[in-house]
Amino acid sequence: MADEFMKGFACLMVGGLGWMTIKGWYNTPSFEGAQLTGELTIEEPTTFDQIALFMGDAFFWFAVLGALTFWVVLPLISEFQAYLNERSA
Amino acid sequence: MSDNDTDDVRTDGSGTGIVSPDDETPAWSERKERTQGLSRLTYEYFERARREDQDLRQQSDYVERDVLAFPAWPHEMMRNIALTSFFVGMILFVAATLPPEMPNPANSSVTPAIILPDWYLYWSFGLLKLGPLNPDLSILGGSKLMADRTYGVLANVVVVGFVAIVPFLNKGSARRPVEQPFWAAVGMSGVIFSLTIAALSIKNLAPIAPHLLFDLTFLVPIISATITYAVLKTMREGYMFDLNRRYYRLRPPK
Repeated sequence: MADEFMKGFACLMVGGLGWMTIKGWYNTPSFEGAQLTGELTIEEPTTFDQIALFMGDAFFWFAVLGALTFWVVLPLISEFQAYLNERSA
Repeated sequence: MSDNDTDDVRTDGSGTGIVSPDDETPAWSERKERTQGLSRLTYEYFERARREDQDLRQQSDYVERDVLAFPAWPHEMMRNIALTSFFVGMILFVAATLPPEMPNPANSSVTPAIILPDWYLYWSFGLLKLGPLNPDLSILGGSKLMADRTYGVLANVVVVGFVAIVPFLNKGSARRPVEQPFWAAVGMSGVIFSLTIAALSIKNLAPIAPHLLFDLTFLVPIISATITYAVLKTMREGYMFDLNRRYYRLRPPK
C-alpha cells in the first residue's frame, strides 16, 4: 500500500513540476498578476512551442490521472478482487 | 496457533464473541477474580499485546535481523547524499527553468502604495492595527491614555511576553496534546491568533469586511481553543490515558 502511495505521489510531483515549468514559460505574463494561469504569452506558436504546450497539458493530466490511478483505481480493483476471492472461497 | 483452530470457537457473532488468543491469556471472568487490580490488568494487557505482536511477526515473511542500527558509511551517508542531490538538483532545475524576474531598483524618493513587512512579520504588523481596542477613558475627558501607535507597540510587548512566559507556566513532562488538553488548547489558539492577526494586518487586501475581520481576529482563536479542548478531552477516553502512562514503569507484579 505504501508503494502505491509513493507511485501516485511521484506522478503528482513529476507532473506538477513539469506543468509548473511550462505554465511558467507560456502562461505567466508578468511577476505581478496571474501566475501559471494567465493569458498565453506568445502570438504565433512555433513547432517547439506547440510541443511544449502539448507537454504542459500532458504533464497536468499525468499528475491528475497518475495520482487517481494509484490512490483510487488500483486499490479499488484490488479490494474488489479480494472481495471476489472471499466470496468464491 | 493450530490448537486454537477448533470448531467450537465461533467468531461469527453467534457466541459471546470473546475468544482468548491463546491458553495463557486469562478470560475476563478470571481477570475479575484477581485482587491485585489495575497493575495486574495492565501487565496482562501489555503481555497480551506483546504476544499478539510476536504471533504477527512469526506469521509474516519479514526477516528479523539482529542489527541495532545502520553504520554511518555507507548507509546513512548514501541516504544523505541522495537527499542532498535531490534538493540541489531541484534548486538548479527551478533556477534554470524559471529564473525570477529582476525588476527595476526601488525608487527611494517615492513611498510605495502598499507598505508591508515580509510575510512572517505580518502578525507583528497586525498588532500595530489594534487601535479600536485602545480605550477612551472618561476620566481623561474622553481622550486616550496613549497614542494608537504606542498602544500597538505595547501590544507587541504583551504578546511576545506571553509567549516567553508560557514555558514557565507550563512545566511538565507531557509529550502529547491528549495529556494536557488545556495547554494544547492555549497553544492552538495562539497558532490561530498568529494567522488571524496576520490577516488583520492586510485587511485592505483581504476579501472580507474590515469590522468583521477585526471581530473574527479574536473570536476564531477562542472558538478553535474550545474545539481543541473538547476534542482532546474526548480523545482521552479512547487513549486509555492512565493505562498508557503506566507503560513506562511497567513491572510484572509480585
